[in-house]
Amino acid sequence: MRFRLTLAVLTALTAACGSSGTAGSSGDPSGSGKATISYAIWDKNDQASAEKIIAAFQQANPNVTVKLEITPWDQYWTKLQTAASGGAAPDVFWMNSLNVRMYAKGGILAPLDESKTQGLTPAVVDGYRYDGKLYGLPHNVGIPALWYDKKIFDDAGVAYPTADWTWDDVKTAAKKLTDPSKKQFGILAHMWDQGAFYPTMYQAGGEVISADGKKSGFDNPASIQGLEFWTSMIQEKVAPVAEVYADTDSITLFQSGKYGMFYGGAWLAATFAANPEVAERIDLVALPKGPAKEAVILLGLANAVSAKSEHPKEAAAFAEFVASEPAQKILADAGGGALSLREGTQDGWFKAFPNFHLKETYDASLPYGVPYPVSLNTAQWQDVQNKLLAEAWAGKRPVADVAKEIAAQMNEILAKE
Amino acid sequence: MHSKREWAWGYLLIAPMALGLAVFYLWPIAQTLYLSMTESGVFGGYTWVGTANFAELFGDEEMYGTLGNTMLYSVLVLAGVPLSIVVAALLNVPGLRGLSVYRTLYFLPVVTMPAAIGLTWSYLFNGEFGAINHLLGTIGIDGPYWLGDERFAIYAIAIVGIWSSIGYNAVLFLAGLQGIPRHFYEAAEIDGAGRMRQFFSITLPLLTPTTFFVIVITMINALQVFDLVYLMVDAGSPALAGSRTIVYLFYQTGFVQNQRGMAAAIAVILLALILVLTAIQFRLQKKWVHYE
Amino acid sequence: MSKPRTWPAHVILAAGALVMLAPFAWQLIVSLQTLPDSLRVPPKFTPSWQWSNFVDVFRSVPLGRQFLNTVVVTAAVTAGQLLLCSLAAFAFARLRFPGRGILFMAFLAVLMVPGELFLIPRYEIMTGLGWLNTLQALIAPGVFGAFGTFLLRQFFMSLPKELDEAASIDGANPWQIYWHILLPLVRPGLLALGLLTVMWSWSSLLWPLVVNTDPEMMTLSAGLASLRGQFLTNYPILFAGSIVASLPVIVLFVVMQRQLIAGIAFTGSKG
Repeated sequence: MRFRLTLAVLTALTAACGSSGTAGSSGDPSGSGKATISYAIWDKNDQASAEKIIAAFQQANPNVTVKLEITPWDQYWTKLQTAASGGAAPDVFWMNSLNVRMYAKGGILAPLDESKTQGLTPAVVDGYRYDGKLYGLPHNVGIPALWYDKKIFDDAGVAYPTADWTWDDVKTAAKKLTDPSKKQFGILAHMWDQGAFYPTMYQAGGEVISADGKKSGFDNPASIQGLEFWTSMIQEKVAPVAEVYADTDSITLFQSGKYGMFYGGAWLAATFAANPEVAERIDLVALPKGPAKEAVILLGLANAVSAKSEHPKEAAAFAEFVASEPAQKILADAGGGALSLREGTQDGWFKAFPNFHLKETYDASLPYGVPYPVSLNTAQWQDVQNKLLAEAWAGKRPVADVAKEIAAQMNEILAKE
Repeated sequence: MHSKREWAWGYLLIAPMALGLAVFYLWPIAQTLYLSMTESGVFGGYTWVGTANFAELFGDEEMYGTLGNTMLYSVLVLAGVPLSIVVAALLNVPGLRGLSVYRTLYFLPVVTMPAAIGLTWSYLFNGEFGAINHLLGTIGIDGPYWLGDERFAIYAIAIVGIWSSIGYNAVLFLAGLQGIPRHFYEAAEIDGAGRMRQFFSITLPLLTPTTFFVIVITMINALQVFDLVYLMVDAGSPALAGSRTIVYLFYQTGFVQNQRGMAAAIAVILLALILVLTAIQFRLQKKWVHYE
Repeated sequence: MSKPRTWPAHVILAAGALVMLAPFAWQLIVSLQTLPDSLRVPPKFTPSWQWSNFVDVFRSVPLGRQFLNTVVVTAAVTAGQLLLCSLAAFAFARLRFPGRGILFMAFLAVLMVPGELFLIPRYEIMTGLGWLNTLQALIAPGVFGAFGTFLLRQFFMSLPKELDEAASIDGANPWQIYWHILLPLVRPGLLALGLLTVMWSWSSLLWPLVVNTDPEMMTLSAGLASLRGQFLTNYPILFAGSIVASLPVIVLFVVMQRQLIAGIAFTGSKG
């Protein structure tokens, strides 16, 4: 029977692969002083710069080999959680401020040398402290900004936004740019925390969470005002209704040339630049000022070191190297999505996208940086926040009601932490 | 055969599979049962809480919402099973030209990358420029934002669910159709029964073992739908309330909110629900499934 | 015999085929676009004949090595499934033993919980065995499955009882009945299970991605997944890779479907 024959062949094959597939152990039994460490990241677009940084590190540390592992965002956290639970987290890996406390508390992360943070923007570094210790060395920074479509502004005869725009300027311009006959809207009001409704909550004088991380700020009247900035523009029909963003993501919508303004990350420069038709039509400026103050949420990624690493010294040295000046320059010069964090290293990145006023946006934003609001288990109350705010965005419930309910539920969650 | 010897053979033949399933599947399920009675973060630190997780879930409106969405989705997808039978029967018509081309085309969804499936259907369902609303527009219907409106999203997702299951099911039904002895058709032919009569009086009854299998498996899979929702509905979408499923809630709780104990409790509830529904199916099969 | 009308079948099948084809066709079109073309809003629906995407994807990931891994894993998993599932299915369908019903339900229970549950316990097993970053870590859990056991049980159950009885009187033991008499008769079921197992194993993503970190030890679908970026994905290259990866399965299907439709069933044995 043919079945039997195939089976024999397959058994042979399996046996063959069993012998060839030896585990890539990072141990060092020979005592030669050589070490191999793994470095896990989630963005393919950072592969080129990461490889250059690794090469530079290996040149300075000839005894260390760094292996890059890319896992896409959708599976990254599932994989990291599984590997960390099994005691086999990568030696060095990307971490964000949403998850860092959870991993630090779980004993997965090794504390890092505080002195290496000098020259790194404090608003970003602060996100990686837990219990008085540093658990991640940030290496990039994401700045939300106001992107605008120059063609739509020109056609409507409205002057381009400037760094000293206020909320009122945004609203006035949005009205002028809206043209129902062309299905054209002044602004996009997608429900986005870091770059849109968190900044406006702070700009109005409110907060997302109290400084000690114990109390929700959603029921603060100023916070509610910050949320209403967005919902009112939907009600006044200068921004599309909530269903539209659910149907097509806002980054794609903005590129279609039907929307005048868009609160989006400066890191989208690389995304937009890949689409030449769009790139020559748009530009960006720092976020407009709110009724109380200027504020922009700064969020950066960090490299964390596994507490169980077999080569803790080498792993820490690599994490420190990525945040050092030479590596930060390499990152910026690569002109990818990520902007280096260390001050004075960013010029290469600015120059990589000559169409956009990135340097001006950076300079105007940085002094008003606010850390991304987090507690021990941020994702838990963010889920509540997103679920309930969706009802306000859809116009089903008044913002004030929803905000108070978020605050109540969030306080309950925070009390348990 | 002596019954004792038959017993021994029975255990012997299922032993390899049983051992493997015990190690790689049943042991993790047992761990899940234990975890569901604890409060635990991601990395250890389990506290025994008894049935507290279950009490909290049963007191949570959202849990019932996701149960409702999941059941609605499952009913819709099960309603698509007859379509697979019709497709398989057509793909099995002898002497139809180009049949192998059709079979291959119907198989394509099975090998298409999920990202491409998600993107394409999102374009088709798009409220502004989607092909579906364009078609509806030609007959004077103003189509909704399919994936942005909580009233419609689950239907849109179910359509994709049916679409992607036709390929698999057709393979299973085609295999089942080959098990029907030719001579039944020959006899019917002599009796002058038309194709339709043959389909209803021979094909359908003799296909029931396969149909039963497909229905049970479709139900089990539909009650665990997650990928399609994750792929087609954004995390902050107003449609999420109408399309969150149990496994979506499980994933969100366990892997995003890092509450392993609670996530395990959700999985246990799902297991109990599916187990009961499957047991009912097995009871009911005696009434309609024809084994030899 | 009168020649049956076939055009209604053609109309229905052709309309359905169009819907079935759409996402695959879209994948094909995008795989031939330039990156800027693939990013246009609203989307561009024609290819720009950028054949180099199919070359570039081989540069981006070690496709050759991953192809070999995938073939080995898929072949081993499929062979294991066919053997173990058919053995267990035969026992469940044709032999009587105490606890049969309960055991079968316990088997089915493994289908009733989300797959993510198995990740951490299995990972711990693989760590214990020292199998992280190996192909056997991908094969071992894959050869066991309740789906195939249930499917083949249905096929065994629809065979006439007289077959076993006759053989039993002739002195055949259950193994001989299984191997020589019944297994050849459930061939359509084995083919269907084989085809679906190949397909699942070929495209399985999460477990290979979690348990193996070395690109050289990854399967095609896991390797291709790493081409996705967080804010910008080069879909032309990703889809080109996906088409290259799915071609073998499509070819296999084209070959196997003839076998599947061969229609030998057990007409001969029953006479």
